[in-house]
Amino acid sequence: MGEMPVRSELNAVVLKIEVAPGDRVQEGDTLIVLESMKMEIPVSAPRAGIVAAILVEEKQTVEEGQKIAVLGA
Amino acid sequence: MNWRAELDELRLRERLAHAMGGPDKVKRQHDGGRLTVRERIDRLVDAASFHETGAIAGSATYDENNELKSFTASNSIFGRARIDGRPVVVVGDDFTVRGGSADATIHEKPLMAERMAAEFRLPIVRIIEGSGGGGSVKTIETKGRANLPGGVGTSLGFHYTTANMAVVPVVALGLGSVAGLGAARLAASHYSVMTKSSAMFVAGPPVVARVGQDLSKQELGGWEIQTKSGAVDHAVETEDEAFACARRFLSYLPSSVYELPPRLENDDDPERRDDSLMQAIPKDRRKVYKVRPIIEAVVDRGSFFEIGVMFGRSVVTGLARLDGRPVAVMASDPYFYGGSWTATACQKIVRFVDLAETFHLPVVYFMDCPGFLIGLEAERAATIRHGVRAMAAINQTSVPWCTIIIRNSFGVAGAVHQPAGRLALRYAWLSGYWGSLPLEGGIEAAYRAEIDAAPDPAAKLCEIEDRLNKLRSPFRTAEAFWVEEIIDPRETRPLVCEFARLSDKLLTVGPSAFPIRP
Repeated sequence: MGEMPVRSELNAVVLKIEVAPGDRVQEGDTLIVLESMKMEIPVSAPRAGIVAAILVEEKQTVEEGQKIAVLGA
Repeated sequence: MNWRAELDELRLRERLAHAMGGPDKVKRQHDGGRLTVRERIDRLVDAASFHETGAIAGSATYDENNELKSFTASNSIFGRARIDGRPVVVVGDDFTVRGGSADATIHEKPLMAERMAAEFRLPIVRIIEGSGGGGSVKTIETKGRANLPGGVGTSLGFHYTTANMAVVPVVALGLGSVAGLGAARLAASHYSVMTKSSAMFVAGPPVVARVGQDLSKQELGGWEIQTKSGAVDHAVETEDEAFACARRFLSYLPSSVYELPPRLENDDDPERRDDSLMQAIPKDRRKVYKVRPIIEAVVDRGSFFEIGVMFGRSVVTGLARLDGRPVAVMASDPYFYGGSWTATACQKIVRFVDLAETFHLPVVYFMDCPGFLIGLEAERAATIRHGVRAMAAINQTSVPWCTIIIRNSFGVAGAVHQPAGRLALRYAWLSGYWGSLPLEGGIEAAYRAEIDAAPDPAAKLCEIEDRLNKLRSPFRTAEAFWVEEIIDPRETRPLVCEFARLSDKLLTVGPSAFPIRP
């Protein structure tokens, strides 16, 4: 099982980063919380694994399709 | 004396037709992981139900005694068949014969398929691969002249490609590489499905390379591109899944606009009250929730069939059943822009309510709409233009309509939660929250002077917000009868099932007042 990119599915602002590289996560765990139209939109782990990288910072604007984190094995 | 010799010749010609493009081409089709058109039709329709029209039409060569020497069938195959016992027309491209292109099609064949669907009022399933009977550059040489698209004798096919959508259900399956006319026949449908190994484009990679884009088939028109763009409704792994999707879609629809949607036996209690609905909406208004489990908790168990999951994602659309009756279901998805109406969501709504209107499906709308998407990108996308088109589409419906306000209803997009000018049923959940515009940001705009004049503007803002929040209880709105009913969310299924039963008397057959566009 290789690395898996995690992408934003919408244009939004990064509100909170809930995990750090090296953290072990389960499928469905919240990695990053985005904000759009005043709502908090959680981005969750598509599968279990170890967070390989977080590619955004809080308050940063992200676009639909942008890679925001990488999940490792 | 009998007709044995003639019958033998007929059977011989049929056998030659069934050989399609020959063993090598059939092997190539299989090696590419794709079925032949005849295998596709067999797997799509009820066992042994396909009755072909024009099987032996094609091109033949004869020897010096005028005896048949060779025969290649047309690459358009069509006929009638049954799906779940109901008659349909199926038309499919045979990619093993000249890659499905026009010079081997005999264009009257796909045309007759479309006419048969229209005149016998039967759903049509188009199985598309290649250029879908469209011309290629080579056609100039095989025909000896250049074709004028839509020229004399060829415009009727284009007529039926779109006109049939106002008469009968049109399902299109893109299996393989689909380009040009094939792409148009795929998109001009009520429901389209492609396999994930397929690609669809107006023009393929070699042509696109000439305008300076060096892309693979998948990069240019793969499933992610086409389902996100909304050009294709759904993508699946296997051809068998595509056939299953086509059958399921048709199960909710009448065979034509001259019939009502078929009611099925239902064993899910219409009075069922699902406790999960009491916890479905978070009290914190900034928190989102999953809307699909809400839909599934309300409609007949297992009956929700989503359409267009990858496009205009702040609005979910699909077909379902209530007490066995097919209905069109629309819902907001707060995971995408808080459920606000984007330009693409509005395009999706137009197409979806037009489908409901065309085939006499009552609409149930689970609404949580904070308004149109706002901001520069939204303005650039002409959100308001697409928004008022969605408003017009909803206002133009005549099918029965029921709206459940499950949380937000703000602004103009909030107002478009039921057709204006006629009575629809409307229920608000306890979590209902509404206004001309949201307090956040709205207060700064409306109370500017008061806030600026205050010694502590931030404290003043909070004070005004508190004041307004006390007034925003949905009960105050109900007290004034500005909303007719607030309900326990667990009452939703009994009430929408009642709505579906009431709709029985209101549905009338016939073409819609305006013909649907693709």
